[in-house]
Amino acid sequence: MSETCKVSVERRGDVAILWTDGYINNQGGEEIAREAYSELERGARALVMNLEKTRIVNSIGISILIEVLEKVMERKAVLAFCGLTPTIDKTFRIMGLAQYAAIYPTEDEALAAVAATA
Amino acid sequence: MDELARAFTSLRRETEKPLPARIADAALAIAGARRAAVYLRERDRWLLAFDSAEGAAPTDPPAALFEGAVHHGGLLWVALDAEGETHGCLALDGLEGDDPTEVAAALGLIFGSVLAASRLSRLVKDAEFEIKARLLELESLYDLGLSLSGQLDISALADEVLYRSISLTDARKGTLVVFGERGTTPLARSVGGDLLPPDAVWSWDLPEGEVALNNDAARVPTAGMRLKECEKCLVVAIAVPGRRLGVLAVADKESRDGRVLDFTPADARLLSLFANQAAAAIETTRLHREALEKERIERELELAAAIQRQLLPRELPRVAGVELAGSTLPTRQVGGDYFDWFPLSRGRLGFVVADVAGKGIPAALLVSTVHAAIHLQIDAADTIVDLVSRIDRHLQRFSAAHKFLTLFFGIYEPEGGVLRYVSAGHNPAFVARANRQVELLGATGVPVGLVLKASWREEIAVLGRGDLLCVYTDGFTEATNADDEEFGLARMEKALVSRLSQPVREISDALYGEVAAFAGGVPQYDDQTLLIVRREP
Repeated sequence: MSETCKVSVERRGDVAILWTDGYINNQGGEEIAREAYSELERGARALVMNLEKTRIVNSIGISILIEVLEKVMERKAVLAFCGLTPTIDKTFRIMGLAQYAAIYPTEDEALAAVAATA
Repeated sequence: MDELARAFTSLRRETEKPLPARIADAALAIAGARRAAVYLRERDRWLLAFDSAEGAAPTDPPAALFEGAVHHGGLLWVALDAEGETHGCLALDGLEGDDPTEVAAALGLIFGSVLAASRLSRLVKDAEFEIKARLLELESLYDLGLSLSGQLDISALADEVLYRSISLTDARKGTLVVFGERGTTPLARSVGGDLLPPDAVWSWDLPEGEVALNNDAARVPTAGMRLKECEKCLVVAIAVPGRRLGVLAVADKESRDGRVLDFTPADARLLSLFANQAAAAIETTRLHREALEKERIERELELAAAIQRQLLPRELPRVAGVELAGSTLPTRQVGGDYFDWFPLSRGRLGFVVADVAGKGIPAALLVSTVHAAIHLQIDAADTIVDLVSRIDRHLQRFSAAHKFLTLFFGIYEPEGGVLRYVSAGHNPAFVARANRQVELLGATGVPVGLVLKASWREEIAVLGRGDLLCVYTDGFTEATNADDEEFGLARMEKALVSRLSQPVREISDALYGEVAAFAGGVPQYDDQTLLIVRREP
């Protein structure tokens, strides 16, 4: 696994999909935040983060994702996660991310859900 | 009042701006100052958080903490206090009015409370985050234990341990090395680059169970080994008592501001716990693999034993005028002894007792080869010597080097009690006469398959009425007791002669029983085979 987390983005209408590839730590979290804030600035009403190529998230990465989530909520937008490993899924639930951001098994399910709410 | 209300509304609502900027904006709006700067108190120092005059020359706040408002460096400094604690200060320039310190004191009270509430809120959030992080650690340990208990794939196991170790210590990188078994290549997993050279960690002088907490890894080698490309590291051995199974290392603990922090004793404890769980899981996996291998070998041995049982005669042949007994007792599941009967033309009876050199599966395979060779060649052979020579050629051609056997092959002719035989290096057979005299039938050639161009001769013995032939393998005569004494030829002869009046089946059982009693429970390592032919009186 790469030390550097890569983030790619695709915009589909009001929804921005972010794919992560690698370790979500300080660097990875900052990269995600930069792309997420950029999409919010460009009017995205929903962010879907697909983490299927991420195996590790540390507490710094989680705290940055919480900041992103707070920003999303301020903007009255929605955030959804998908493609989580069972370990990351449990981590998000324990750390409170799942309280305000929905978690879906697949990207299609996440997109369908946010399309209904965004 | 409208201005005041707008200022406080902005302070509350414009949350996209950092709080110090909102406080400065509100101060400018409420007090009518030209410039406002907010400093925060962090670790006994003032840190400039926002200055409305961006780019203006900074001004240092008063060195010591102060109360209320003071003039310093041409600015009015307002302490932002709440509940007896200074959370920051506000620098104002160009404040108008007769006594600006009164307004300033009021601002200090209001903004101090706002700042205190914000800091308190952040502290609560941080504490809540910390509690959740500790809960996550506990859950991870529990989950890892559960996950590893069912994990028999070492690679997946290594990934699981490494990922959780890196994640929960906030390390940037990590490496886990599991040493290979019996000369196999070590398994190494890394995130962010290899910290440990897998080939060198064998010799690493890291005592069992010890954690190397090295917060200056770049300059100081850890336990005799310098880790690659990291500033600070934490290393622990993966070990079970008396044996090192691998090494787990993480490096460069991250902070939110991008610095590399020291690993803490709590990190070291956590990594040790992960290493302990990994050690238990790796050992379990190894034991499981060994158990599977043992089970596989057991199954194969059982199959081989079943096949070998098929090679042995299932019943005694019916030959007029003789009484027969034949049996074998392997010391392992599969043995290297073999006996067989061959009813021949003119009422004759052929029989063989063979003892293959070696034990276990290789010996059993050779027995199988000999069995096939005899059955294929017996009809084509003109004489016993011809048959033995054919078996010899077959073994020389198709068997591995150094594979040989001793055998006694006899053909008994009921008419006249004539016994023709070849003994290829076999133990001397007994001929016990009805009058209890005993003769030994010695070897008439070398073992089969031992030397090239060997030759054998056929001998004849005649069994009178009531005379008995006893052919056996060395599992009888070389059976040992607790004093390492052999049963020997003399005891064998005595046991045989003392029972001559009994049916041959009982004689056979008694000989097995005497040898077992002599051994007294001492494990025997050679198969025992016994064949008896008695001409009826």
